Amino acid sequence: MSAAAHRDGPPAVWAHAWRSGAPLLVAVGVGLLMHFAVQPAVGAFKARVLVDIGINVILAVSLTLVNGFTGQFSIGHAGFMALGGYAAGALSYYGSYQLFGAAAFNGGVLSWTASQGPFHGPWVGGGDLLFVAACLVGGLVAAGAGYLVGLPSLRLRGDYLAIVTLGFGEIVRVVLQSTQTQLSQAAEVAATPWPLLTLKLGGALGFIGLPFYTTLFWVYLAVALTLTVAIRLKRSSYGRAFLAIREDEVAAEALGVHTTRYKVRAFVLAAFLAGVAGALYAHLVGSINAGELGFQKSFEVVIMVVLGGMGSVSGSTLAAIVLTLLPELLRTVTGSVNTYLPPAYELPDLRMIIYSLALILMMILRPQGFFGLREIWDWRVRRRPRPA
Amino acid sequence: MTPLLEVTRLSIAFGGLRAVQDFNLALAAGDLQGLIGPNGAGKTTVFNLLTGVYRPDAGEIRLAGRRLDGLRPFQIARAGLARTFQASRLLADLSVADNVRVGAQLRTRPSLLGTVLRTRRHRATEGDIEARTRRLLETFGLAERCDELARHLPYGDQRRLEMARALATQPRVLLLDEPAAGMNPQEKLALRELIRRVRREFGVTILLIEHDMSVVMSICETVTVLDYGVTIARGTPPEVQGDPGVIEAYLGVAAQTRGPGGGA
Ligand SMILES: Nc1ncnc2c1ncn2[C@@H]1O[C@H](COP(=O)(O)OP(=O)(O)O)[C@@H](O)[C@H]1O
Ligand SMILES: [Mg+2]
Repeated sequence: MSAAAHRDGPPAVWAHAWRSGAPLLVAVGVGLLMHFAVQPAVGAFKARVLVDIGINVILAVSLTLVNGFTGQFSIGHAGFMALGGYAAGALSYYGSYQLFGAAAFNGGVLSWTASQGPFHGPWVGGGDLLFVAACLVGGLVAAGAGYLVGLPSLRLRGDYLAIVTLGFGEIVRVVLQSTQTQLSQAAEVAATPWPLLTLKLGGALGFIGLPFYTTLFWVYLAVALTLTVAIRLKRSSYGRAFLAIREDEVAAEALGVHTTRYKVRAFVLAAFLAGVAGALYAHLVGSINAGELGFQKSFEVVIMVVLGGMGSVSGSTLAAIVLTLLPELLRTVTGSVNTYLPPAYELPDLRMIIYSLALILMMILRPQGFFGLREIWDWRVRRRPRPA
Repeated sequence: MTPLLEVTRLSIAFGGLRAVQDFNLALAAGDLQGLIGPNGAGKTTVFNLLTGVYRPDAGEIRLAGRRLDGLRPFQIARAGLARTFQASRLLADLSVADNVRVGAQLRTRPSLLGTVLRTRRHRATEGDIEARTRRLLETFGLAERCDELARHLPYGDQRRLEMARALATQPRVLLLDEPAAGMNPQEKLALRELIRRVRREFGVTILLIEHDMSVVMSICETVTVLDYGVTIARGTPPEVQGDPGVIEAYLGVAAQTRGPGGGA
């Protein structure tokens, strides 16, 4: 036995490490490619659209874990995004004051958006670490909220979760909009203890002046990791427990699945990822305003999941891409049409109308979404001839 | 010797309807017992009580001495009591193999981190699940169809998949709720053989609800008869078939058609 273990020891270890870690390397590779090759090639505007796509993919795929995998219906995802964004913003903004003396950029080349000008600095700066920590804290705060919301409501059957998450999203918005005026003097920040700082998040005006760290690198790193997590979950005991709940809760319990626990886990994980998406968003725009992350944003994410496929990771990814590009396209189209129309007949923003129509059509024609539970690559399997 | 599964004075009422009253049962390890009775007699309700779907108003359930009443269904499944459902409850949009895998993963403890990182331990566990799933699919003649969606299986295969999936949880006691329903005569014959073989190969103790008398009477050692929630007879198949109360109960429902003695 020891001889055998010895013989295939080292190579096996490397093989295992490779099979575990390959997606991480791919994630970093994709991020680097987007940052150093794609960003300069496509220009500032298209790069921004690509960032928006990435953030929406994270939101849609994370909501798929809940609404698709476990078959629950959460409609307050923007609330978790907002919580994550504010928590991350608080850490990076006030943390920057305390570490660097001002809420200014202190990162390396990976966090520098090329359109802001030429970069002269290190590969990795202290600000990068603060930013990564902020993203994780944003995720954890959102996850904590997800636990508090999910535990009581997921115990109950039926549509309680939809109602509770709807209310939760609104409560988050109201609470964040009634926080205190933010501090913007280094001396004030230094004199204020952390617990009080977390109350000073800008209120109705939004939390502004956050340092810009979010680049294509960080976003697509997060996208690749999110996709890896979702796909690995789906193809494992963990994901099968989720899917069993979605298919038949009574049968899942009878097969020994602790349904409440798995529902809460899916919900908390989804909240974490939404929180990270919020953190990325906050450091992309340099500000975050809970007023913009209300029901409409939640609804957008729900539509991505419903259209893409209730339970399809690749389907919701595709839907997130299409539905992020669509408004850009619509803007161009309505813009050019409107130049020929008298002001009274100009076309309004058609986005929400089209979304709603698409949703209704989908519910009638294909309620499971374009892809249902399947992944894009599953079609190959279906066509494979069955052994006679 | 104490029985493996011991049920005493189990009762439940739905509003005014006493669906099950003072139900007693003792299953020794290795038993294959039957539970029969006219439609609406309370047989499925007994299963729902045993597996925690309903909470009993009164009574006790013990598996190898351990109290099961009051536990949640997943805890009861983990304690070693598995069941099939009368109306199929397959995970319809999952593959045949995945249906069995969900059962087969019962005694594993998947960790989120292990799953996401695909650690060595995670892969070993998934490998075990896969091996046991394959074995069950072979036993139940479903290996060829393992990648099909459960909803696309023919009816007889669906019933067998329900059994395979329940067995995958490695139960000590298996409750089968009308497995022969909707099967043709050949399938029923094969089913008898399959149930015997399952008991032998998997070492499970079986309680069988079955409408088809030919199946129950030919394979069960002891049969309990329920009528309106009350146990009206218990004994070997010949004893039960000759019981005037049982004949009465069946004649009252299915006037002049085949009573419990009709099959075999
Ligand atoms: N959840 C429930 N609520 C109300 N009545 C029920 C419920 N479950 C079963 N019953 C009633 O209990 C009686 C026994 O049903 P059941 O156990 O399904 O009979 P069977 O012996 O045919 O399996 C029936 O009259 C049925 O209508
Ligand atoms: Mg029944």
